[in-house]
Amino acid sequence: MRLLFAALALILGTTPATAQWLDRPWPGIPRTADGKPNLSAPAPHGPDGHPDLTGSWNGPVPEIQFDPANAQPAVNALIRQRQREYHKGRPLYNCLPNGPEADSSAGWKRILQTPAVIAILNDDLSYRVIHMDGRELEANPAPSWTGYSVGRWEGDALIVESNGYNEKTWLSRYGQSHTQALRVKEVFRRRDFGHLEVDVSVTDPGAYTKPWGSTARMELEADTEMLESICERSSDQWQGGAVAADTAVTVAPEVLARYVGVYHGVYGGAKRVIDVTLSGNQLIAKVTGRAEVDGGVIRPLIPQSQTTFDGVGIVYQFVVGDNGVATALIEIHISGPQRFPKQP
Amino acid sequence: MRLFFAALLLVVGTIPAGAQWLDRKTPGIPRTADGKPDLTAPAPRGPGGKPDLTGVWEADNVLGRPDPANLQPWVLELSRERQLEYYKGRPMYQCRPSGPEAERFGGWKRIIQTPAAIAILNDDQTHRFIHTDGRELEPNPAPSWMGYSVGRWDGDTLVVESAGFNDKTWVSRYGVSHTESLRMTERYRRRDFGHMQLEVTFTDPGAFAKPWGFTVDMTLAADTDMLEAICEKSSDAWAGSLSDAANQGVSVAPDVLARYVGVYTGIYGGGERTYEVTASDGKLFAKLLGPPIEGGLGAAGLDDSVPRPLVPQSQTVFEGLGLGYRFVVDDKGGPATALVVIHISGPYTYKRVK
Repeated sequence: MRLLFAALALILGTTPATAQWLDRPWPGIPRTADGKPNLSAPAPHGPDGHPDLTGSWNGPVPEIQFDPANAQPAVNALIRQRQREYHKGRPLYNCLPNGPEADSSAGWKRILQTPAVIAILNDDLSYRVIHMDGRELEANPAPSWTGYSVGRWEGDALIVESNGYNEKTWLSRYGQSHTQALRVKEVFRRRDFGHLEVDVSVTDPGAYTKPWGSTARMELEADTEMLESICERSSDQWQGGAVAADTAVTVAPEVLARYVGVYHGVYGGAKRVIDVTLSGNQLIAKVTGRAEVDGGVIRPLIPQSQTTFDGVGIVYQFVVGDNGVATALIEIHISGPQRFPKQP
Repeated sequence: MRLFFAALLLVVGTIPAGAQWLDRKTPGIPRTADGKPDLTAPAPRGPGGKPDLTGVWEADNVLGRPDPANLQPWVLELSRERQLEYYKGRPMYQCRPSGPEAERFGGWKRIIQTPAAIAILNDDQTHRFIHTDGRELEPNPAPSWMGYSVGRWDGDTLVVESAGFNDKTWVSRYGVSHTESLRMTERYRRRDFGHMQLEVTFTDPGAFAKPWGFTVDMTLAADTDMLEAICEKSSDAWAGSLSDAANQGVSVAPDVLARYVGVYTGIYGGGERTYEVTASDGKLFAKLLGPPIEGGLGAAGLDDSVPRPLVPQSQTVFEGLGLGYRFVVDDKGGPATALVVIHISGPYTYKRVK
């Protein structure tokens, strides 16, 4: 909850009151009979015969395919620590470039394509440059926030290989770190006029046993403009996890044991399952279903009273019956409390 | 002094240890017989016949120093207030986009030109987007940090008109404000392969009586690459303002201050420099005599003929906008015999001449 507030306060997108200028029709694009952009028309090709990715694009944050068993122990430890700090150190929240973070592979962007170079411009004003002049990937470029990228065409697919990242960036909002040896491979496919798909694979043996990644899907944002979204306030002042830990109370293990169980309900129109387990004296909630709430799937629950717990930005309250055994779990969201009855 | 330190710490450019990869030959550019980039070859042209500005450019330093008399009173006043705060609020020092700030036209840029749009990429990981698809300038775009820009060709000159700036950015590092009505005109002329001249004009009647601007020469940076320069630490933690210094400062009796009043001369940066120290209302002020001097002055202002306040930190040491001022006195209670100005490069002694 706190995290959502903070994120809202943090990222100030400028929303104009009268936005006619935002609805300017683009010249020279295919349209359907009713005048709307025809997003399923064929993809445009440049003079060199390759697909032209130029345009404004937007798409949802991709779901990462991440298996903790694939990460080195130190990486998993850091992920847990960053979660306890409410991901306060995330570069985006610090007004720093996101670099290779999975969230950056979708969202608003403008692509400008020329034969020798492709630029990807993001709405936070950061950008990437992809060299298309036939050069090889540099063996040892200076580590940077956005890396060093070279691209080539394989049929209609643009293959981009990148390295030269510093180790300050994350690979997802959930705090996966990487080393300076990180390599990123992206495959861009413009299926038709209105759809762009990007398969992202990260390789970093110092941090992950096998490559892993995500797929971003974006739509052409025709007849409009990308607006700036500037980070004006860093997360320096966030409380982090200190308060939840400082205000934690002790709950007896036999009380915690009465909360263990599986709770079902609906959040955001989709089914959500909260599996509460006990690991030593630590209560843990595993949240599956539509998990579009920051904080991560696995959330340690820090007791703030005998029935109320802080679960990385969401308050969890157990509803107990006469015998002290939980009958339901309430997640307190910015949109109000959501009730998840316990399954028998 | 403090300002210099802070600025050094603030903007962290990545300097590679072994930088062979930075010397990669740019393919497909004209070269002289000895293999060097031929910067005087003709400017390349795009498919439309217009000059192609694409490339990595290094622009000369820019100092946006408008004539103080051309500024509306509120702009001049704000500029002076910001000087007393060591320009701590400068967007660049706050890790925020610099928008139209004159000084930020200097340094490294990568330009990417396509028929319908031109992108200008800055080394601080910000960018500008210029529509060249023939549209008019929007009369009322949402205010933004980088503004809304349209470009058209006037012969071989690219003329870019911009509007829609928010009023959080500065048009010069000297704390010069603008309103949301700011209009900016840029004229880019790529004279030959390696040289481009840029002329920038700011028009904003609410802030400036007359349009003003500057020119800057840009040179193609061939056979190298632009490096990132990311602001990782904002100026939030800077000590702040001279009034803060004054609040924690000590008080020095008027008869002691009177001993420091005088004219002091010495050598700085290979040239002679003369300070005039005056006292008024129980406060001490220093002013540089002679022609204006750029650099080495701490937080320089638009108008350095205005005496800068010296805030006492002890009975003999004063803080003067980023420089330390120490008066050398003898034990006889007479006037100070010298003034030592403490720069980042060390103390410099100026002997009393009057």
